[in-house]
Amino acid sequence: MTEDEVAEEIASGMTVGIGGWGSRRKPMSLVRAVLRRGADDLHLVSYGGPDVGLLCAAGRVRKVSYGFVSLDSIPLEPHFRIARQTGAVETLELDEGAFYLGLLAASHRLPFYPTRAGLGSDMLACNPGLRTVRSPYDDGEELVAVPAFDIDVSLVHMNRADARGNGQFLGPDLYFDDLFAMAAERTFMSCERIIPTESLLEEGPVHTLRIPRLHVDGVVEAPEGAHFTECPPDYGRDEAFQRAYAATARDLDAWDRFRAEWLELESHDTYRDRLARWRDS
Amino acid sequence: MSRFAGLAEAVAAHVGDGDTVAVEGFTHLISFAAGHEIIRQGRRDLTLVRMTPDVVYDQMIGAGCARKLVFSWGGNPGVGSLHRFRDAVENGWPRPLEIDEHSHAGLAERWRAGAAGLPFGVLRGYSGTSLADHTLTIAPIACPFTGEELAAVPALNPDVGIIHAQQADRAGNVMLWGISGVQKECVLSSRRSIVTVEEVVDSFEPRVNGVVLPSWTIDAVCVVPGGAHPSYAHDFSERDNDYYAAWDPISRDRRAFEAWLGGMRDGVAA
Repeated sequence: MTEDEVAEEIASGMTVGIGGWGSRRKPMSLVRAVLRRGADDLHLVSYGGPDVGLLCAAGRVRKVSYGFVSLDSIPLEPHFRIARQTGAVETLELDEGAFYLGLLAASHRLPFYPTRAGLGSDMLACNPGLRTVRSPYDDGEELVAVPAFDIDVSLVHMNRADARGNGQFLGPDLYFDDLFAMAAERTFMSCERIIPTESLLEEGPVHTLRIPRLHVDGVVEAPEGAHFTECPPDYGRDEAFQRAYAATARDLDAWDRFRAEWLELESHDTYRDRLARWRDS
Repeated sequence: MSRFAGLAEAVAAHVGDGDTVAVEGFTHLISFAAGHEIIRQGRRDLTLVRMTPDVVYDQMIGAGCARKLVFSWGGNPGVGSLHRFRDAVENGWPRPLEIDEHSHAGLAERWRAGAAGLPFGVLRGYSGTSLADHTLTIAPIACPFTGEELAAVPALNPDVGIIHAQQADRAGNVMLWGISGVQKECVLSSRRSIVTVEEVVDSFEPRVNGVVLPSWTIDAVCVVPGGAHPSYAHDFSERDNDYYAAWDPISRDRRAFEAWLGGMRDGVAA
């Protein structure tokens, strides 16, 4: 598939899960395609990074469910920070563990999972949509119930994949991309390179094959598809580019220029051409 | 923190009459050596827990160690029934055995909840079956968002969890790899734990499906090469399928079993 074909599958109002972690292995070419195609009123579910920031800045987001939204080397995602501080988006703000349980519950097709995380904190006060559940046993303990994330479409980016949709991560961490793929009704996966199935073990052992094709509905070959987030071992984070992106949060004109120059492009190939020129300049 | 101990010493220190004891491992890495030591030391009134009670639990039940069994499948894999287990349930020999029978998903969820320190777990299971009529630890629970009724199962927190692993390092951390079951959950949820290992190494290597249990989750590490026999330890031993086949006629016959038990207690190769 192409990025645009994936983006056509995402309708306004949908809940979209996005894999990766902060500014790490984010499916950025798919995110830009979604932004380009114009779906809005989206509910994003993400261990958030610039995926969340870009879509919030472009006004496409109704709600964000997240464990954090960060650029790693820049602790707070500046575009998301504006959206959060101005109340432009609804939020479900969980700790990372509770967020994981929302993914896990959806993966197991359960409506919720119980946890102690959040008890004794303001997590319940700040998230009026959360509920508690009481143990049906003699202890009668009251726990936090984390609702399953009802994800329509998940987007993930892998280092390698075959054309059938088996995905491979070669970096240090899968994050929870397997759960994003399992939790969603449909999952689209971009990858640095599509390789033959029989070559999947040439670069990594069997435990790096963590996205099985039964959870994947389409594959996009997108070299540098995670740019400017990191995608080791293929490439690290483009910190210069990330700084330039972050700076646009303080300056509307700069954001408009950035959007015209980097986001409103016709394809990922055009983006890569421009990136090559930007690096040479 | 774990300490190294002989197996007899560890069982004597950590497994008491009346305890709830789990010897876990899923076809792979079953600590038969620990089960046999519990028999030798004559433990009684145990509540035994195991997802897949197979030959080692048949032996422990036949030896009269158990008062109750919490399980989700029982059999001699690839061979047939566990006849000592059946004799206990059907005829009360050598003593009656209560059972708490779950589905695999249900018992795995009980382990997960126990390891997470939660009082219960939930699953979309048991509905459409009459298992809940017979297994009183299954309780209905309503989802607070959708109102849907699901099954709750209580956390498992045994007094003692026992597993077999490939390696310990000198600090008493443990690593296992290959096909795993609920070994991690067993150790984390149990009040005390014993791990039998094939060998002690200076440091661990990355392994496929590797699980490292830090020493602070473990009480005793016992070096027992071949301690999983007749099950196997990936990269160390093959499964002894002949043993499982040979168990069937022993298990079917009380006198043959008692002869086996006498030999095992006397330290004849089991």
